[in-house]
Amino acid sequence: MNETLDLFAAWLRGTSISEAIRVAPWLWPLCEILHFFGLSLLIGIAGFFDLRLLGFMKRVPISAAWTLMPWAKFGFGLAALTGVTFFIGAPDQYIDNPAFYGKVFFLIVANLNAVYFEALYRRQVEARALDGGGPIAVKVIAVVSIVSWFFVIYWGRMLPFIGNAF
Amino acid sequence: MMELLASLENSGFGTWLRESPSIWAYPAVLTLHTIGLGVFVGGNAVLDLRLLGWGRAIPLAPLEKLFPVMWIGFWVNAVSGLALFVGDATTKGTTWVFMTKLGIIVVGVVLLFALKRTVYGQSNAGVVETPTSRALAAASLALWFLAIVTGRYMAYV
Repeated sequence: MNETLDLFAAWLRGTSISEAIRVAPWLWPLCEILHFFGLSLLIGIAGFFDLRLLGFMKRVPISAAWTLMPWAKFGFGLAALTGVTFFIGAPDQYIDNPAFYGKVFFLIVANLNAVYFEALYRRQVEARALDGGGPIAVKVIAVVSIVSWFFVIYWGRMLPFIGNAF
Repeated sequence: MMELLASLENSGFGTWLRESPSIWAYPAVLTLHTIGLGVFVGGNAVLDLRLLGWGRAIPLAPLEKLFPVMWIGFWVNAVSGLALFVGDATTKGTTWVFMTKLGIIVVGVVLLFALKRTVYGQSNAGVVETPTSRALAAASLALWFLAIVTGRYMAYV
């Protein structure tokens, strides 16, 4: 298994797009900056919505809070795109790195949680205009969201320390 | 000045932060700095985007409650940032990038207080939106993103 992954990483590193990402002197720092722009938009807006689901700022209708969500999705897209760029540019830094798998695990949890909310609970919760209530499942979803994004950041930060990524 | 920076960097705390293999030293402080960034800049972005015209259905009055949340993020970053500075004082204390970042933060905090006063500080009129509040929101969003730019750039100096 590990050998297959290492072979994949070596192949990816040898591609011309991977080399182009490493060679461009400004691209990596630029992607780091955009990765953090995306992170703050995502954490700020998703966190705001999660706090609202938990009963904070009750005078904000949930349907109104939701209207900022495209900005959270844009932030996530920005972070995902630049993250994939890092991976393609230096796959060897991530492929054997436990922190990378920690981050991917919590990314999957956070995204499934968000998709689950939007598919099953969003309309139901929005219909309850201002009362701030909602099924307990929605509060669990909000907590899972906050905790899993926290761990996405935590494992992302651990990449250079537990593994060897820069 | 250089002696002061060197003594900070070589202090027990500075050395521990920089050299300890513990995950609770440099990695934990850097993680806190990133979490604080997300909370502070992110909370600020919610208010700024709303003032700039997105999410108009969101009433402005309850968003005042974002300020305590933002200040938590701010202080987490002030303290973790100070710790990161002490661990690397001779480099950070002598680079224009760090000075620029500090300048941006000072201007950003002043603008944030002005923004709060403009929107929430009118005792009779309630919450108000004016061209001034929109301009302050745009400037605030731009400045905190610039703080991220300079912060990230510091990894390369």
